[in-house]
Amino acid sequence: MEIISFYSGFVIPFLVGVSVLFAVVVYKFGRWFVRLPVEDRRLVRKNFFSRATVRALGECFMECLLHRKIWKVNPTLGYMHTAFAFGWFLLIVVGWVETVAYLGWRFVPLQGHIFFKFFTGGEHHWLVMDILLWYVLSGLVLAVYKRFRSRTLGMRRTTKLTFGDRVALSSLWFIFPLRLLAENFSGVMAFWWGYSIALGIFFVAMPFSRYMHIFTEVPLIFLRRWGIRSGERESSFDHFQLEACSRCGICIDPCQLQRDAGFRDVQSAYFIRDRRYNRLTRRVADNCLMCGRCEGRCPVGLQLDTLRLNSRHTLSGTPADGRFEYARKITNNPVISNECEKSTGQTVIASENEAICSNSQSSSSHPLGGRGETKNSQLSTPRIGFFGGCMTLLSPRILQSMEQIFAASGDDVWWADRNGGICCGRPLKLSGDIDAARDMMQMNTQLFEAQGITTLVTSCPICLRVFREDYRLEGIEVLHHSEYIARLIAEGCLSLRDSDEKMTYHDPCELGRGCGIYDAPRQVLASVGELVEPAETRSEALCCGSSLANFVVDDASQVAMARAVGAAFEATGAARVVTACPLCKKAIGRTSSLPTLDLAEVVAEKLNND
Amino acid sequence: MAIDFGYSVSQPRAVDLDRNDLSLAREIVREMPEFSACIACGGCTATCTAGNLTSFNFRLVQTLVRRGEYAGAYAEMNKCMLCGKCRLVCPRGINTRGVVRLIKRKLGDY
Ligand code: SF4
Ligand code: SF4
Ligand code: SF4
Ligand code: SF4
Ligand code: SF4
Repeated sequence: MEIISFYSGFVIPFLVGVSVLFAVVVYKFGRWFVRLPVEDRRLVRKNFFSRATVRALGECFMECLLHRKIWKVNPTLGYMHTAFAFGWFLLIVVGWVETVAYLGWRFVPLQGHIFFKFFTGGEHHWLVMDILLWYVLSGLVLAVYKRFRSRTLGMRRTTKLTFGDRVALSSLWFIFPLRLLAENFSGVMAFWWGYSIALGIFFVAMPFSRYMHIFTEVPLIFLRRWGIRSGERESSFDHFQLEACSRCGICIDPCQLQRDAGFRDVQSAYFIRDRRYNRLTRRVADNCLMCGRCEGRCPVGLQLDTLRLNSRHTLSGTPADGRFEYARKITNNPVISNECEKSTGQTVIASENEAICSNSQSSSSHPLGGRGETKNSQLSTPRIGFFGGCMTLLSPRILQSMEQIFAASGDDVWWADRNGGICCGRPLKLSGDIDAARDMMQMNTQLFEAQGITTLVTSCPICLRVFREDYRLEGIEVLHHSEYIARLIAEGCLSLRDSDEKMTYHDPCELGRGCGIYDAPRQVLASVGELVEPAETRSEALCCGSSLANFVVDDASQVAMARAVGAAFEATGAARVVTACPLCKKAIGRTSSLPTLDLAEVVAEKLNND
Repeated sequence: MAIDFGYSVSQPRAVDLDRNDLSLAREIVREMPEFSACIACGGCTATCTAGNLTSFNFRLVQTLVRRGEYAGAYAEMNKCMLCGKCRLVCPRGINTRGVVRLIKRKLGDY
C-alpha cells in the first residue's frame, strides 16, 4: 500500500479550530473542577469507582447522543437533535472504522480521518457514510426550518441568538452541505477549503456559544450521578449546569410569564444565557414564579429554580443584621406563645384555643398513633401543631374549616400562629436573603420544639416545602392539611357526605411539583364530590400567577395569568374550583367566574355533624 | 403616673419638602412607578405580619421615603418578612414586596 501524505494546505483552518477548541474546553473544565467546593470533590472521590459511573455512561449515551428526553417532549425536535448528535457521532466513528479498514492499524492524523476521501482520492467509498451524511442533512433541514418557522416544529417560540451562537450556527449550517459537495466533487479544492474553514470557524466559536453544551453535558451527567448539586449559594458546579444548556428553548413555551403576561426575555433559557455571559440583571433574576414548569421539561435536567435562587442571593442578598430579633418575644417564651401582645396592648389568651379541641373522643385507632397513653402522661402537651402561615391567616374561612375538621377528628391542636407568629421564611429565602431566612427558620423551630408537638400540619404548601426542605424538625412529622385530612378519612375518623357535585382541582406548584403531593388532595376530593381534571394537570399544572417567588410582575400581569388559569377551569364544566393553597385560592378566585375554595373548606362543608 | 391606654398618639411633625433631598425618592418612583399609586389607606400595615409584632409600619415608612425622609428607613424595611400579605390586601395592587426591596437597595446601597 502506498504511503499517503496526510497534509494539504486546506486542512490548516480545521487544525487551528480543533486546537483552539481543545485548549478552551480543557481550560474551562479544569478551572471549574479545581474550584469545586471541597465536599463536592469528596463526593467525586467517593463515587468515582461505583455503579454511578456506569449509569452516567449510559445516561451520556441516551441523552447526549440520542436525546431521549427531547424525543419525549417533542419528537420532531428530538429527531433534529439526534440527527445532528448521533448522526455526526456515527460519521466520526464509522469514518474511523473506514480508515482502519482501508489502511489497516496505523497512525493516521486527525485530518486524515476527517478528510479521508480527499487523501484517498475518493476511490474508496462506503455507502453507509453517504447515508449517515444524508441523515445529518435531514436534521439540518429541520434546524433551518425551525429557525425561521419554529411553529412547524411544535414550538411557539425559539431562542434569540447571541453573537457567538450566530457565528457557530452559520458555520454549522455550511459544514454538512460543503462536506457533501467536497466528497462528491473531490477534485474541486474550493469545496475542501470551504468545508475545512466551516469546521474551523465552528470549532473556534463553539466554546463561546450554546454549542458548548455538547461537551459540558458529559461532565455534568457524571458529576450529577456522583451526587453533586447546586445549592442556595453559587458554586463552581453551577458552571457545568449553565454551559450545558443548549438553549433549545423548550423551557420557553410552558412559561406563563411568556404566554399570558408577555415577558419575552426572562425565561430560563434567557436567564441561563445572561448569567453565563455575566450580564444577568436583577430584573431577569427576580422575574420568575419559580413554578417549576420549565424545570420539569428541561431535557438536560438543569436545576433551573435553584440556579435562579442562588443568583438572587448573589445579586440582592442583604446581611441578616439580626433583623428579626423583635420576634424573639413569641419564640423564646413558649408559655405565652399563644398570647400575642400587640402594640395596641390587646392580649389574646391561650385558653381560647384549648376550648376548640377539648372534645377529644378518639380511640387508639387514631391516625396519629397510640395517643391514649401519652395523652395521660403529658396532659398539657398538645401533639399536633397547626401552622397556617401568613397566607392562611388572611383566609379566615380556611382557619374556621380547619377548626371544624380538628374538632371532628378529636385531636388536640396547638395553633402555632393564629394569634401572631412569624413567617415560615420561604418568601425571604426566595428573595435571596438566605441568612435572614435561616434566622427565621431557627426561631420557628425553637417554637415548635418547645411545644413538644409530634406532628406539624400546615395548610400552606409554601410553608410545607420550607419545613420539609430546610427545617430540621427532629421527631416532628410534617404534613400538608390535604395529607392530614386524607389520613383521617382513610382511618375512618371523619364522617363526610359524598355528593356528585363536579369539582375541579388546581395543583399548587409548591405542593405538586414542589413536594410531589398530587394524590392526597384528589383522594379527599373524591370522597366529597366528583373530580374533573383540567387540560394541564398534576406535574403539568399551571401556576396561579401570584407566586411569592416573583418580585417583579405587576398586578395586571398577575391578573392576566390568573384569567388564563381560570379559563382552563371553566372549560372543565366543573361547578367549583378547589385548591390546596391559600394563595392560589385568592389568586384564582380573584378573576374566576367559578367559586374557588380551599380543600379544607369543602371538607368542612361536607362534615356530618352529629 | 401616666395611664397605659394600650395605644399611643403620634407626635405632630412636619416634612419640609423644600429642604429634603428628593433625588433618591424620585429614582425609586422612576424604577417602580406603581409605588406612587399608594392612597395611604393603611391596609398593608393593618395586615402586616411584622407589624403585628413590632411597631414597623409599611405605609408610614414608604410614605416618608417618598417625601425624602430616609433616616431609619432601611432598618425599618429590614423588619419585613416579605410574606406578601400586604400585596394581597392592597387596593391599588402595588407590588409592595418589590417596594420594600427597592427601598432597601437604594438606601442600604445593595
Ligand atoms: S434551560 Fe433546559 S430547556 Fe431551557 S433552553 Fe436550556 S436546555 Fe433547553
Ligand atoms: S419557573 Fe415558571 S415562571 Fe420561572 S421561567 Fe420557568 S416557567 Fe417561567
Ligand atoms: S401561589 Fe400556588 S400556584 Fe402560585 S406559585 Fe404558589 S403554590 Fe404555585
Ligand atoms: S411583606 Fe413585609 S410589609 Fe408586607 S405584610 Fe409581610 S411583613 Fe408586612
Ligand atoms: S395597602 Fe396599598 S394603597 Fe394602601 S397604604 Fe398600603 S401600599 Fe398604599
